[in-house]
Amino acid sequence: MMVPFFGFDIEPLGAQQVFTLGPLAITNSMVYGLLMALIIMSILTFGARASQLWPKSKLAFWCESLVELILGLVTESFGDRKKAMKHFPMLLTLFIFILACNISGLLPGVGTITYNHVSLFRAWTTDLNATAAMAILTMATVQIYAIRTIGFKGYFEHYYTHQPWKPGNILIGSLEVYSEVLRLITLALRLFGVIYGGEALLAAIGTLAGSFGWAAMVPITLLELFFCVIQAYLFMMLSTTYLVMSTSQHEESGHEPGPVQAVAVS
Amino acid sequence: MQHVDPALIKGLTIGLGAIGPAIGMGLIGAAVVGAVGRNPEIQGRILSTAFIMIGLVDAVLAFVLLILFTTK
Repeated sequence: MMVPFFGFDIEPLGAQQVFTLGPLAITNSMVYGLLMALIIMSILTFGARASQLWPKSKLAFWCESLVELILGLVTESFGDRKKAMKHFPMLLTLFIFILACNISGLLPGVGTITYNHVSLFRAWTTDLNATAAMAILTMATVQIYAIRTIGFKGYFEHYYTHQPWKPGNILIGSLEVYSEVLRLITLALRLFGVIYGGEALLAAIGTLAGSFGWAAMVPITLLELFFCVIQAYLFMMLSTTYLVMSTSQHEESGHEPGPVQAVAVS
Repeated sequence: MQHVDPALIKGLTIGLGAIGPAIGMGLIGAAVVGAVGRNPEIQGRILSTAFIMIGLVDAVLAFVLLILFTTK
């Protein structure tokens, strides 16, 4: 089902229910997200099976290169390989899954294959529920690891310092707590907004160009590919930065701040 | 205000909303070129930071697009 918008047909804002599985309503973004998860899992499983000291298979080589690249980025932000390895699996999973789901929205068949008058496929990250779920997972991990690393007292002092009765500290601490909530919201809305806006833009450009929609959509598709990669990278790097910032409080051996810690304000 | 064409409002939204991100991206580009010119040996780190900043700025335009495409 498409929503008319000034003559363009774009996907509605929310994901639509395709069928129900007992009490659980299965929406089209869930179908495609599960499909992409299965595809990634099978590819990476084959890659891991073929991995050797000197990989002969090309798939294993590319998988290892990707993991190595992300590990380098994460290690550089943490400044410590042991700490980076602790959080690395979740960050790598987030990056690969978000990247695959972003790009899956550009594949043919999305929005055109219908089942019960509802498009069967819809990119996982164009659903606000999905991005909010990933953002909540990330921020919950950040808070839990912050408490585990610096303790309840340190966690409290991180916001309200060791003199919480002073009005200035109360004000600034409340602002800090508010900014944590704001991080959660912006993390979810940024990914959703960019990917959903991009797909709506593609539909709009395709309709505006009329018969030459196929030609007009090529540059926009390339732009969208760029933003897909950037957004996946950004989600992972912001998660890394939040983890670094919240778990490295009150350390005597102050390591050099990573390159991304300067932008952690947003 | 009831007689304003909604197409005009939508055009103004995207036009005014694109100004800020455009200026921001230009500033980022200028800063990156300057920084790489000063110390080209850490180009990779500068570029990775620059891509993060571009992503942050781009989100503003995405919010504008979101508002544009989701209001009747």
